[in-house]
Amino acid sequence: MSQDLGPEETLSARFKLEFDYTRSVGPVVGRFLMGLLQRRIEGIRMSDGRVLVPPTEYDPLTSESLDEFVEVGDAGEVVSWSWVQVPREKHPLDRPFAWALIRLDGADVPMLHAVDAGSESRMRSGGRVKVRWRAERVGHIRDIECFEPEDAS
Amino acid sequence: MAELCGVIGIGQTRYAAKRGDLSIAGLVREAALRALEDAGLEWKDIDAIVIGKAPDMFEGVMMPELYLADALGAVGKPILRVHTAGSVGGATAIVAASLVQAKIHERVLTVSFEKQSESNAMWALSLKQPFQVHVNAGAGGYFAPHIREYIHRSKAPDNIGILVAYKDRLNALKNPYAHLQIPGVTPEQIEQSPMLWEPIRFLESCPSSDGACAMVLADERNAERSGRSVAWVRGTAMRSEPTMFAGRDEVNPRAGRDCARDLYAQAGITDPRRDFDMAEIYVPFSWFEPMWLENLGFAEEGTGWKMVESGATMLDGDMPVNCSGGVLSSNAIGASGMVRFAEAAIQVRGDAGEHQIDGARLALGHAYGGGSQFFSMWAVSSEKP
Repeated sequence: MSQDLGPEETLSARFKLEFDYTRSVGPVVGRFLMGLLQRRIEGIRMSDGRVLVPPTEYDPLTSESLDEFVEVGDAGEVVSWSWVQVPREKHPLDRPFAWALIRLDGADVPMLHAVDAGSESRMRSGGRVKVRWRAERVGHIRDIECFEPEDAS
Repeated sequence: MAELCGVIGIGQTRYAAKRGDLSIAGLVREAALRALEDAGLEWKDIDAIVIGKAPDMFEGVMMPELYLADALGAVGKPILRVHTAGSVGGATAIVAASLVQAKIHERVLTVSFEKQSESNAMWALSLKQPFQVHVNAGAGGYFAPHIREYIHRSKAPDNIGILVAYKDRLNALKNPYAHLQIPGVTPEQIEQSPMLWEPIRFLESCPSSDGACAMVLADERNAERSGRSVAWVRGTAMRSEPTMFAGRDEVNPRAGRDCARDLYAQAGITDPRRDFDMAEIYVPFSWFEPMWLENLGFAEEGTGWKMVESGATMLDGDMPVNCSGGVLSSNAIGASGMVRFAEAAIQVRGDAGEHQIDGARLALGHAYGGGSQFFSMWAVSSEKP
């Protein structure tokens, strides 16, 4: 506890609030994350037939429970994107990259992830990207290390 | 005149030390679905959702009401979160009832929960703050001196807490939702359990539970056409007071006495022990039963322990208390107050199964929270006001 006392101030002190928690993901997000371990991406079918990735437990339209899992592709289309020229420490990549909304093949709703495109000129809406899997996977969205333009390989 | 309000659906999860199979959303969902099913309704039939839980620090989810909106069918509907520490489950039900009584909504879903396995509620209550002595005692350590003061004032014999714990543990064996169930439990077993915070023993304390409780409340027209048995709300009251002030009586807080007086006036109750058929009272540590019996006017000051000792609060006594096994048997903190309210409603609906009080007509649901500073209560009846 450090104390700062200015001439016209009362006492104040900084303190750090920390606490440990556990988080249980439940059956739907749990299955999605377990799929990533095995390089499989699963979405879920909504009441109107659309496929949501990542899946949600409850239908956004009717609030009914959802349970029809649908495996989708590990490649898809960039719907929209934003270029990060100077990555910060906590960003997923240490070089310039794009945040992108990516609609995977077989999905109807895009999800957010990073694209390692090398340069901004290789990003465009409607462009194709595919997953780069992390070698050591743990059951986390970052088991997808990032996406990369499909024409890169 | 205010609109009438009735409970037409109740849902509870089984209370357990850990529900690792469910997310927090899945936990509240389970209770909510059961309440909807009990009411014979679907998500689309609900006009608004009122949710309660204990402090955010308990699970580390800020504004859980926002994250839980989809699990509770609140998309496109109002959702409101209530927070009054341990009494929150009761306060949440009262806010939900008031929306019906004020004719703002016709059918309201109210839910409260806690997933204690994802946190450490004991120590989340005792965070180290600058300029304050860190008591580091937890709830039991905080309340033990109040209990000692009660024993000192009332000259109650030492075994009263054991009698309460024994009764609630027997009752829990008759409630399929109860968390802590100890078949063959004996008073000796309770007496020999470790002393945690003198005079509170381990088996005189509540467990840490995961669980959720939900109710569907409806106005008169919707309650009557539901075809369900209805627990009519005959009165609701809440009171609060600061944690500390000179002259505060923590053993018999004025907020609790005033709250009860207000409730009884609304419900036309002149002699609570005679008028109520049963009561669900928030008792996280055994000795709080005699303390609250006095605070609530069931017994004269200093005599609550005699009521316990006489067996009056047992399932077959003249004033059964905590037929469900109470907070001593299940404590998903945010839900615990609502469970008291719901169990009172279950009794007057005649739906309590093995722990049913025959012919229960009028029941009390009670909750308290913080340092005995928040109180919420309702009276429910099988008879329409």
